[in-house]
Amino acid sequence: MNSVGEACTELKREYDQCFNRWFAEKFLKGDSAGDPCGQLFKRYQLCVQKAIKEKDIPIEGLEFMGPSKGKAENSS
Amino acid sequence: MKIWSSEHVFGHPWDTVIKAAMRKYPNPMNPCVVGVDVLDRSLDKQGRLHSHRLLSTEWGLPAIVKAILGTSRTLTYIEEHSVVDPVEKKMELCSTNITLTNLVSVDERLVYTPHPENPEKTVLTQEAIITVKGISLSSYLESLMANTISSNARKGRDALEWVISKLNTELEELKSTRDGIKPAMAAASTEK
Repeated sequence: MNSVGEACTELKREYDQCFNRWFAEKFLKGDSAGDPCGQLFKRYQLCVQKAIKEKDIPIEGLEFMGPSKGKAENSS
Repeated sequence: MKIWSSEHVFGHPWDTVIKAAMRKYPNPMNPCVVGVDVLDRSLDKQGRLHSHRLLSTEWGLPAIVKAILGTSRTLTYIEEHSVVDPVEKKMELCSTNITLTNLVSVDERLVYTPHPENPEKTVLTQEAIITVKGISLSSYLESLMANTISSNARKGRDALEWVISKLNTELEELKSTRDGIKPAMAAASTEK
């Protein structure tokens, strides 16, 4: 699956691999201590944010339906 | 405004369905989704995982339609928020389009929970609110969109089944490689 920014696709793949492994083998089994993918995520994020600005994609705080959005905002 | 909702039962346990849901794209049933990015991800105090994602979709609109819509964009974008609670075993996903918003709003909400009577199954409840803006054919178009959403929902469920099957195949291949190596190693060591 590609990234919105063509240059970010490889960084996205590395992050996704790390995340998918952590999600399946740790998080879902009740072990959420320590996200090993932080560094990969930061690198990937920098690239994506740049691509979003360049492509003028309108991301901002949006009102969604569903109660979970409220919970997400209340928790840190 | 049109509200559409449905309920579906997957013949797989919740963990399996959720793993597939997080890796839903790409899949052959939803070829229009051409990009997925994670904008933010965090754990809250209750240990739930929040993800904020951006989906890029390419509908392959003919040039004349684009001209009528007054857009030079070929891609439309969708923002998605999801929350996965591994203790309560609940995944909730909300999405909305962030382009073409002057024409239409499609807000969707999906909730995946284990089947109350059978832990080997998972229930998906899905609902959408569709609002076509500013033109008199709105209720007709909203019905049309509800049908599209319904058919896309079917494709989405088929997509999850496809991903689950793919992940199981990968697991089987891994196991048989490992099992192939073990007897070979055992034979090698008894020869010595």
